[in-house]
Amino acid sequence: MVLAVLSGLFETSLLHLTIEGVLLLTVVYLVFRMNRPNKDRSSHRLTEKQKDELIAEWVPDPLVPETPQDHHVLNPRFADGKMTKNVSIEGQTYLNMASSNFLSFIGESRIEERTKQTIFKYGVGSCGPRGFYGTVDVHLDLEAELAKFLHCEEAVLYSYGFATVSSAIPAYAKKGDIIFADEGVNFAIQKGLQASRSRVEFFKHNDMEDLERILKIQEEKDNKDPKKAAKIRRFLVVEGLYVNTADLCPLPKIIEFNGSTRSVCSSTKAGLLESLERQEERNEGALVVWRLFGILKSLTFPFKMKRGIECERKMIHR
Amino acid sequence: MCFFFVEHKNKEPRHKRRLLLPGFHGCRESSNQRRPAPCCSCHTAIAICFIADCTSSSLQKMAPDDVNRRSAFRIFHRFPVRLTFGAKSEAKTVTQSKKRQQRENEADDLKRLAERTDILECAWHRRNDDVDEEDLEENLAETEAKNEPNVDIYGDVGSRADNEFEQIGGSTVIMVYICWVMLFVFAYVRDIFRRLGFVADKSNKELEKLKSFVPLFSDFEAFYQRNCYIRVRDVFERPICSVPGATVDLLDRVSHDGNWTYEYPGTTSKVINIASYNYLGFAQAAGPCATASVNSIDEEGVACCTTVHERGRSVSQAKLEALVAEFLGVEDAICFSMGFATNSMNAPCLVDKHSLIISDQYNHASLILGCRLSGASTKVFKHNDMGSLEKILRDAIAYGNPKTHRPYKKILIIVEGIYSMEGSICNLPGIIALKKKYKAYLYLDEAHSIGAMGKTGKGIVEYWSCDPKDVDILMGTFTKSFGSAGGYIAGSKKTIDHLRVASPTGYYSSPMSPPIAQQIYSSMSIIMGRDGTTDGAERIERLARNSRYFRLRLKQMGFIVYGSNDSPVVPMLIYFPSMCGFYGREMLKRKVGTVVVSFPATDMTEGRVRFCISAAHTKELLDEVLRHVGELGERSGSKFSRKAHLYRDQKIEW
Repeated sequence: MVLAVLSGLFETSLLHLTIEGVLLLTVVYLVFRMNRPNKDRSSHRLTEKQKDELIAEWVPDPLVPETPQDHHVLNPRFADGKMTKNVSIEGQTYLNMASSNFLSFIGESRIEERTKQTIFKYGVGSCGPRGFYGTVDVHLDLEAELAKFLHCEEAVLYSYGFATVSSAIPAYAKKGDIIFADEGVNFAIQKGLQASRSRVEFFKHNDMEDLERILKIQEEKDNKDPKKAAKIRRFLVVEGLYVNTADLCPLPKIIEFNGSTRSVCSSTKAGLLESLERQEERNEGALVVWRLFGILKSLTFPFKMKRGIECERKMIHR
Repeated sequence: MCFFFVEHKNKEPRHKRRLLLPGFHGCRESSNQRRPAPCCSCHTAIAICFIADCTSSSLQKMAPDDVNRRSAFRIFHRFPVRLTFGAKSEAKTVTQSKKRQQRENEADDLKRLAERTDILECAWHRRNDDVDEEDLEENLAETEAKNEPNVDIYGDVGSRADNEFEQIGGSTVIMVYICWVMLFVFAYVRDIFRRLGFVADKSNKELEKLKSFVPLFSDFEAFYQRNCYIRVRDVFERPICSVPGATVDLLDRVSHDGNWTYEYPGTTSKVINIASYNYLGFAQAAGPCATASVNSIDEEGVACCTTVHERGRSVSQAKLEALVAEFLGVEDAICFSMGFATNSMNAPCLVDKHSLIISDQYNHASLILGCRLSGASTKVFKHNDMGSLEKILRDAIAYGNPKTHRPYKKILIIVEGIYSMEGSICNLPGIIALKKKYKAYLYLDEAHSIGAMGKTGKGIVEYWSCDPKDVDILMGTFTKSFGSAGGYIAGSKKTIDHLRVASPTGYYSSPMSPPIAQQIYSSMSIIMGRDGTTDGAERIERLARNSRYFRLRLKQMGFIVYGSNDSPVVPMLIYFPSMCGFYGREMLKRKVGTVVVSFPATDMTEGRVRFCISAAHTKELLDEVLRHVGELGERSGSKFSRKAHLYRDQKIEW
């Protein structure tokens, strides 16, 4: 076979061989040229002495700016005792219209008794993450109860309301995905969107026409490149009751759009929005991540405080 | 340096035994579909992605010239014939000689830099070469002179235990890779079988109505979850049903379908708990801390139902903040309800896109998320490597931001006190020296070290006899040593005032629950000796003794243990992913609860068992654990260390 190739070589014309030879040499030359270190680089580099000079010159900004000392956050007034419907501040009693104790579970003695019993059984902290001996049986019970309550297959607990949505969004939406989000979503959701590294398209607050418009734009893009479109996951992020503007999201309309998008619906005040929830259940396509922020207010403290959850469970079924 | 390259000896027959890990059992039919829940390992995997991203982007930033070299037009710069003509030869020789000179200068500078860097390889790296350490030791001597008693339970400050990272031979590493390859080959086979319908698919999958959607879980992560993690899922997420003290009651569970679902027969088993972060043993269901937190419920209720800015912190949280500041010896402190969010939400308040974050290679996921959210450029330095840190600092100041070509406005170095997966202690004196020299700011995460380290439990700053005022941001959590939940940031009043006003958690999240704050307050008071007993000091000393004893005994038995001898986090290297399942299950059979960690939480070749020592452990409990570990080490051949002979004759006292 080698002979055949060699004889073939001799049969081809000399011109052919020369051109191929030249081409081959050019390729070899270029390859070796590329691997040689770039001489121009040294001109971009600074010597250590030059660096020292620059370092001596450099003046960093202060770590934090000055804060005006009369800022109201720096001069708080503390409420004595529990934050029930009445609150006492510096000896005077006021009607409490400020805290979000919607269902008035603060100060409920049944809950508090149960909480105390739980501390005396489990201690206060779980001393470990969920994966490593930090899951307490109470967590599992509550997760099961919550799933039942929300008519979902499963539920997962987070220890901090604020962190729930901001870590749940990046768990699903990855780089290259698209998130359609309402402009009015709260800060925690915005942080989640930022952390997800997906492309975020905002539509005007509660404006379904605007949402339709950006979905159409996306559809046109998809039609141009259907191969790519088949790999992009889409999410729709809205809030049940907008904490910034206090209005409800038009869930039935949003569900109509849901043919092509998963909706991550974060409801801030789920306990008050039961009717809304029920609508949501019918939308089997929606992937519901509930923020357990205010279902019943005993949940607002970290779930690592197992006792709160246990009494929580009792209350739901009463 | 603290790296030891160990000659490999012939161990093949043992390793071959370990290769047969994935089997086909446990995949019976069931139509039960599971809704995807973002579990702990998902988050770990995400964190790993973040790390990978940060690293790759930082690499790009570090070598802008290489990027230029790859540009499409480079060929035109290299034409053999130049388009300019004239007397070039003279100029050429001049430039050449200049360049040569420059290169020589550079080499000299580099040498000098290397020497200077060695100064910063602090006392515990080069204990015997005192020549270069004069400055540092002078500093230390000064601080020691101020804080009079310079010898504590850890010994002399100048000779702290160094971080050890004993390396294994290359062929063992290859065996580990072969093990992984086998695991993935079988995983693919399983996936094929599942697709063909021979075995039931019980993994997370789309509902029937969502078939037209782009699948939510189709990537490698889900594949790993479905085929690899599920094989050893019984080792993780074990539910407990008692206080996680020296012993803990585990809720028994059985799985009949290969770990997809569990059944709980309702029985419990008591195991020795060498896994929880209960360093000082404050996870207690009785005693002064528990009583105090229960009493605080009567006073303040279980929650505040408001945000920090709307109706303010609870009284107990305000009290706690004052105590934390006093405990750490700084001007002010602020507390948050969750340790993870303390990092991820507050780092963005300190730096912006004009700043640079220099982060340690092994920083925790929360810090990495904080870096991402802040929008600052991020560079990663090699774990605890002062040379690498100094080089990055110098280049960052000299070259500025490679994208905008503007100098950075500020540079923030982020490190941890004790690294939770490595058990190593950060070289704080070295980092403070560098930070001062290059006018950078320092963010120290003491999640694991606060309470657990230092003569009076004040963390890594006290351990090194450093001044807490040299650290700009002291961060820590209450989840570990204090047996509670939440985190703090402490520092100068100006810094904390800014955080109080600017931190998003103030506007949007609820303050600490009173009983949680009270638990921290009580336990911290005990550590400070405010209760009139020596209970706190005794706990700290017991923890230090326990850690040292446990670590030395493990090393004596021939296991590779990473980190410093003083650290209560004890990662014991077992390398093979298959051994994680083995250790987790066998230890449970012997009534010991341990944590096993493997990829993606660690490097692929560095699976490990992690023990967390507690002051609640007695010597008898530790001896029992050591006995079981020793037996398992014999059985599985995981005593990889080649340095055991150094400890053979050492008398290890508790």
